[in-house]
Amino acid sequence: MIYLDHAAATPVSKKARLAMEPYFDAEFFNPSAAYLPARKVAAEYETAKATIARAIGAKATDLVITAGATEANNLAFSAAGEGEVLYLVTEHDSVRKVAERRGGEAIAVDRNGRILIEDLRKKISDNVSLVSVSLANNEIGTIQPLSEIAALIREVRFDRLSRGVRQTLYLHSDASQAMNLLDINVARLGVDLLTLNAAKVYGPKGVGALYVSHEVKLSPATVGGGQEKGLRAGTENVPSVIGFAAAISNAKEHIGGNRKKYAKWRQILLANLQGYELVNKKHTLDNFVVLCYNGLDAERLIFLLEERGILVSTGAACAASKGAKSHVLSAIGLSDAEISGSLRITLGETNDEEQILEAARAINEVVEGERRRINEW
Amino acid sequence: MNGKTVFVGMSGGVDSSVAATLLVEQGYKVVGVYMKNWSKDLPGMKCPWAEDLADAKRIAVKLGIDFEVWDFEKEYRERVVDYMIAEFKKGNTPNPDVMCNQEIKFKLFYEKAIRRGADFIATGHYARISDGKLCRAVDENKDQTYFLYRISNEAAAKTLFPVGGMLKPEVKKLAEEKGLHNAYKKESMGVCFVGEVGMKDFLKEYIDIQPGEIREIGSEKVVGYHDGAVFYTIGQRHGLYLSGVSGEVNDGLPYYVVEKDLSRNIVYVSKDLNHAAIWTKELELRDVFLREPVEGSELMVRLRHRAELIPVRLEGEKLIFEKEIKRPASGQSAVLYAGEVCVGGGIIA
Repeated sequence: MIYLDHAAATPVSKKARLAMEPYFDAEFFNPSAAYLPARKVAAEYETAKATIARAIGAKATDLVITAGATEANNLAFSAAGEGEVLYLVTEHDSVRKVAERRGGEAIAVDRNGRILIEDLRKKISDNVSLVSVSLANNEIGTIQPLSEIAALIREVRFDRLSRGVRQTLYLHSDASQAMNLLDINVARLGVDLLTLNAAKVYGPKGVGALYVSHEVKLSPATVGGGQEKGLRAGTENVPSVIGFAAAISNAKEHIGGNRKKYAKWRQILLANLQGYELVNKKHTLDNFVVLCYNGLDAERLIFLLEERGILVSTGAACAASKGAKSHVLSAIGLSDAEISGSLRITLGETNDEEQILEAARAINEVVEGERRRINEW
Repeated sequence: MNGKTVFVGMSGGVDSSVAATLLVEQGYKVVGVYMKNWSKDLPGMKCPWAEDLADAKRIAVKLGIDFEVWDFEKEYRERVVDYMIAEFKKGNTPNPDVMCNQEIKFKLFYEKAIRRGADFIATGHYARISDGKLCRAVDENKDQTYFLYRISNEAAAKTLFPVGGMLKPEVKKLAEEKGLHNAYKKESMGVCFVGEVGMKDFLKEYIDIQPGEIREIGSEKVVGYHDGAVFYTIGQRHGLYLSGVSGEVNDGLPYYVVEKDLSRNIVYVSKDLNHAAIWTKELELRDVFLREPVEGSELMVRLRHRAELIPVRLEGEKLIFEKEIKRPASGQSAVLYAGEVCVGGGIIA
């Protein structure tokens, strides 16, 4: 099997798995309990949180652990209070749907999927309290100029204060896809809220975190035992957080090497493929390759490749087969036919150079086969 | 290639997948079509349409045939679901599958396929067409002519039922041999995915609940309460909210619904299986649809899908039985057979 869908899910690394192991039985205690063995678990949990926080230049107390990125994104939007929200038109549904529910307005992107800063500037009225722009897009890998956006946010805040406008304004970013390839530092990015996801960095599924700068007020996602600063009550998911910490620190350590490796594989792949248009030409994560085979149905290609043991995707995994066309590809100006013909390949740790070459051969063959079938018809 | 074009309805299930496979092997030019009739989730029930569509498409791709999605959601809603809800509101228990075949699969799908140049349409139904006549499937256990008796003769004449001559185990075995991934998939049930169990929940989305009494027939004694007489079906014995009437010994025998008085919103039940209201020797039909002349034929009738065949006479729009039968719910279909041939039927009045 050649797995080329690392943006959808990553296998749990051995390091993470081994780190988690003791917390399923030997160290199973509830971190809230009073006795010493439980206090030890509580301390280790806090250490793990600190490790995760350190990977983005933050402190353990800045993090709220959640059950994945979707929950973190939902929680982040509570920072908006009664204010209005803006979101990038290409955001993942876990941002888009929350924003839409609050009557949020979408910010446009250019043909590369990059934010149109002027559109953001135009739309930040005095009532806007939250702007959400992912660090890297989950369908085409576009990296957003977050510090530039943060600079604009600071400018708006300053302007509001100078005019006596009291509405707060925060910047949220979903960094789920970026953690393997970008060196993330919340201060440098200038974000107030940042979403992380263990499942995309070779950690376990169902655990994520929201970085919350100390001045941001959130409404609790759940109430109960007061865990996670009272914002997300419920017994701590100790094994998963331990695994998350192991996974993210490992990712952080290998960012440089990964970028070189994936950039090279991307080159090899593109050089060996035939008859495609590259969708994500610029400002993209090195492990994202989005190919458009105009006139073909990418979903057919997926099934044909699946028979050859090669797993790829169209757009976001959740969009597959639902008949709904990708809002991301649509936003960057692709026609309906181009959207149906678009394949997403995301490289990762399960791959090697030989696999990339083999995948290129197989993709060329199935593409040629489909073109032949259509011509015969 | 035999030069003929077939549009085959592919649901993602094993039967229509095998049907498409057989057509390809027989040399037809085959186009697979997923009919998108319903996609809404219901409370506590996820509509599996997207998974079904992916399953169907995966098979089509494997077979190397064209595949399309035809959207009949609006028409299905109007002609099948609205009809079904209206019938329930009248106190009847309609059969949506009969309506779906009559109005969608063997009308809209058929007509569009013909317009697109089809010589035939095909589905994965267990039924046969012999000399242009609709006949029961070889697998008596799986025969689906009960749901097909109202399809037009015009459509039937141009329909292929590739699995109608096979036994279900053979179909499954073939699917395994051909490496069809859905060989083990569960069959879809009833109105697309609702099935009998979910029908009440489904209806509650469209019909307001209206509490009323459950009375014992004859004695008029109130034995429980219901949330709307329209949700109950004659013969039903599950899902009744019955109180153990105080001071009485519960004999453990179940109550059956034997009658509904919609004007007073009362459901009548009985424990007596011999109660006169349950049994009848005659059934009044409406909307009788005969696909074949029936004069002089010895007729058999089927009152439920896969139920036994019962000898019967048809006089005008009335069925006369030799022996008393348990009265089926109004709105269900009575389907008539002369030998293997399905000659038509009607809706129980």
